[in-house]
Amino acid sequence: MLQDYLFPETISEAVSFLKSNEGQARIIAGGTDLLLDIPEGKIKTSCLVDITRIPELSKITLEDGVISIGAAVTHNQAANSELIQEKAAALAQAASCVGSYQIRNSATVIGNVCNAQPAADTAVALVALGAVAEIANPGGTEYVPVEKMYAGVGKSTIDSASQLVTRVSFPAAQKKQGTAFVRLHQRKALALPMLNVAAMVALEGGKFLWARIAMAPVGPGPVRALSAEEILKGAEVTPEVIEKAAQSALEQANPRSSALRGSKEYRTSVLPVLVRRALEQAVANAGSSCK
Amino acid sequence: MKEYNVVGHSVRRLDAVEKATGTAGFTSDMKLPGMLYAKVLRSPYAHARILSIDTSEAEKLPGVKAVATHKNTPRELFNTSATMTFTVPPMVPVLDQYIFDNVVRYVGDEVAAVAAVTEKIAEAALKLIKVEYELLPAVFDPLEAMTPEAPVIHESHKKNIPGGEVIQIPYGDAEKGFAESDLIIEKTFKVPVQKQAQMETQAAVAQVGLDGKITVWSTTQTPHPTKMILAKIFSVPESKIRVLNPPYIGGGFGVRIGLSAKAEPIAVALSMLAKKPVKIVYTRKEDFIASDTRHAGYVTVKLGAKKDGAFHAMYLKAILNGGAYCSFSCETPGVLGCMGMAVYRIPNQFYYGHSVYTNTTPSGAMRGFGNPQAMYPIESVVDMMAEQLGMDPLELRLKNIMQVGDPWPLPYKCSSTGLAECIAKGARSIGWEKRGKLNKPGAKKLRGIGMGVGTHCSNAWPWCGDYDNAYITVQQDGSIHLATGVPDMGTGTSTSLPQIAAEVMGVGLDKVSITFADSASTPFTIGSHASRTLYAAGTAVVEAARDARKQVLEYAGEFLKVAPERLELKDSVIYVTGQAVGNDCSGSGVCQTGESERKSISLKELAYNAHLRNKQFIGVGRIVPDNAPPWHAHFAEVEVDTELGQIRVIKVAAVHDVGKAVNPMIVEGQIEGGVLMGIGYALSEEIKYDEKGKQLHDSFHKYMLATADDTPEIDVMIVESNDPTGPFGAKGVGETGLVPTAAAIANAVYDATGIRFTEIPLTEERVFRALAENRK
Repeated sequence: MLQDYLFPETISEAVSFLKSNEGQARIIAGGTDLLLDIPEGKIKTSCLVDITRIPELSKITLEDGVISIGAAVTHNQAANSELIQEKAAALAQAASCVGSYQIRNSATVIGNVCNAQPAADTAVALVALGAVAEIANPGGTEYVPVEKMYAGVGKSTIDSASQLVTRVSFPAAQKKQGTAFVRLHQRKALALPMLNVAAMVALEGGKFLWARIAMAPVGPGPVRALSAEEILKGAEVTPEVIEKAAQSALEQANPRSSALRGSKEYRTSVLPVLVRRALEQAVANAGSSCK
Repeated sequence: MKEYNVVGHSVRRLDAVEKATGTAGFTSDMKLPGMLYAKVLRSPYAHARILSIDTSEAEKLPGVKAVATHKNTPRELFNTSATMTFTVPPMVPVLDQYIFDNVVRYVGDEVAAVAAVTEKIAEAALKLIKVEYELLPAVFDPLEAMTPEAPVIHESHKKNIPGGEVIQIPYGDAEKGFAESDLIIEKTFKVPVQKQAQMETQAAVAQVGLDGKITVWSTTQTPHPTKMILAKIFSVPESKIRVLNPPYIGGGFGVRIGLSAKAEPIAVALSMLAKKPVKIVYTRKEDFIASDTRHAGYVTVKLGAKKDGAFHAMYLKAILNGGAYCSFSCETPGVLGCMGMAVYRIPNQFYYGHSVYTNTTPSGAMRGFGNPQAMYPIESVVDMMAEQLGMDPLELRLKNIMQVGDPWPLPYKCSSTGLAECIAKGARSIGWEKRGKLNKPGAKKLRGIGMGVGTHCSNAWPWCGDYDNAYITVQQDGSIHLATGVPDMGTGTSTSLPQIAAEVMGVGLDKVSITFADSASTPFTIGSHASRTLYAAGTAVVEAARDARKQVLEYAGEFLKVAPERLELKDSVIYVTGQAVGNDCSGSGVCQTGESERKSISLKELAYNAHLRNKQFIGVGRIVPDNAPPWHAHFAEVEVDTELGQIRVIKVAAVHDVGKAVNPMIVEGQIEGGVLMGIGYALSEEIKYDEKGKQLHDSFHKYMLATADDTPEIDVMIVESNDPTGPFGAKGVGETGLVPTAAAIANAVYDATGIRFTEIPLTEERVFRALAENRK
């Protein structure tokens, strides 16, 4: 039964509220998942700790080439940020696909990650961007790659009753680096993805220096297309190379059949198309095009 | 074309401000003193017998005031649809439902209901009801349900055909017609379960007075017939039951023609047991699984044509999935056949169709009522025929479409058609000449253009009884009060009917107010459905207004000492035709006494004058409507992403002959909404079941309605053929928007891909598989 609703003003106050409630309190930011889960009994909590009034958590910053997204930054804030659009296009695109416009006004990017749904759009983008989460624990600060924040399907490694993810950070795309996000869905709003893929590429002299590709839902969380990344590394930027890499993405993918969102067979067939399109767009965003 | 003062103008809807500000009244908003809240226990099984049911623990829960089951509620058979109140002999309505039965026939079927002081307590009490089930074999597909080994779902309907009713409509000699045809194409199509997905879920509030009078506020589209159904279930005189909307309904699309699923009888039964008002509001999930859907099924079209393209014979067959209870399952196949046979001049036709009981959610009325199920297949086959003949599908249609005065299978006349004009305008809008030239070789995204046409009805006759009444009273200040029993479920009735009253009465719209959707304060009407409200209730309003106007002019004739035929009534002033309006003496007191020589008098003065002489002008309209065909041509441009199987609708041009648009803005809104519903039907909307009969699509999250973001450009154009039978020439428009939409889209997809899909919706996966198959 919910009894208390607290507004900490600093990160340390938020963490100490969690601590003093001994596991009975829980972080709330956008609340778009939590406020459905509480009445349904999926989450039991007696106290909500609202972090949206901690000033630094509502900011998107660029410092020394590193972009940070605070825990209270909403999807629309990220999607509409010129900085994100320019230096982390994949995240802007992913953030603009979640839920509906109204949901995106409230739901936070970090909430999307912490809710740990297998195909959380912004998590997929953040994994491709190589993002790392800063976590405030009672004992101090900890840094964990977003990729490692999944403990299972719908399970985060973060315990929102004792920990607070304060921000996620990733390097801004530099010259000749590009990112992209593509999504297959049954309608343009209020639809979970049938598949989504994010990619970041670094190019030099007509070759891929490296690439990072994340895809979902083909595992418990965003899955790295490691074989594809390996193929691309040092390879010429050509349609043939991209197609080969896209096909190899299946090596790490294990999509399940969903009665609502496509069979395993269908998802397997079209995943390479999405990987290819994500790579093509990322290459284009890097200021190059594959000849 | 004649210009009117109020009719034909896009006046702002009278309900606009209250709806935009959230103050408009809906059943789900209602609260009465002492009111209890109801929750329903529903079957988790597709087919089972209830061996025992123990409610004692639930009754003991503090706050619980009544628990209803099949043991303590009336054992009176009924049909949730209004069909049981207006089925005309020799046809007999199928009555196959109790409020609660000891057999459950689909997942979601009602087992028991609880009334408690809060919804939460009612919900908790449901968990305390112990039910012992004996599972029975279940069947979900209509073709399987017709086999001899299929389980019988209703004992008295042995072959699983509701009422045993197979509809056969012969016209000409189909056999001979095919023998004489040069070309014959036959194809069977499969159509899905679509849901109305109206905004407001099924809801009712019932209050049973100590004097036995029952008042029910609910979401019904038909307050008067619903009163009749409730009277039968509870064995109460109809005069003691009042059913009304409060005053609006959050949409309907056919889902509550009659009862709002079982919201009304459950609320009444619990209110009788608890002796307090009871409110029930279905959750969205309940609405999805336990209120009527569109009929899914199999439709076969066999079309024969002469070499020159003249259609010569058609055989149409429909086997529809009726679900667990009859509802409108006898009427829907009839309308499917009639509408399918009425579009083209085909001298030799035969229709065979019926529904089949299965252990799925009951199918009933949904916008289009069988017509979309007919036109997607028919229009697909017409396109196939055009290809075989080497003709432009547009030209082939123009050659064969019905014309005024043509013989056709329907018992009323083809009284008007603007279909040729609709086709011409739509073709221009979509750029029909680009068809076949849209794609470069090797393109992965393919564009295509397709079209579909159709007709519909403007009321429910001859499929059932259909009549309407209205009262018009001139108030003592000369303003007009209109009373009509039809609801406004969002279609604009409460604006367009006053527009008609204002036009006939010769007053401004601001002088008219309307009472509607209340069985106690309005005269009988069969309600809002069958695209009939403006056409049929509007005809009653015209009659009532003419009656009142006649009384006004007769009285004014005496007052002005002029023959009434010489008088005009316009802008609330009665004057002698051809003479200037003036000589206004208001305020002098002389007018009221009628002492001065007058050439004109305001309606306000006249009404008060009559009042002082003990008279009110009361107009009554009692009509039996004719029927008339609205016509429509839709053109769609689509883009098919061949790598993913995904279809994007680029544009729909929807051109409708509506007879006369009484309020063009409302008409355009109706058509746009219909088009979007048709796009959903074509591409993404479907309720599927798992192998145990559980509905997989039971929420807005899972059921893929198109969102605002998915809405393509919709170019709505109105053609006015001024039908001789409709009020001011109007015909039905409520359902037509989705009749040919799936057909136009499927034909556009064929144009893009060369693949003829015989099953909708055209989901990504279905299209992808077909494309892969095609490449082999």
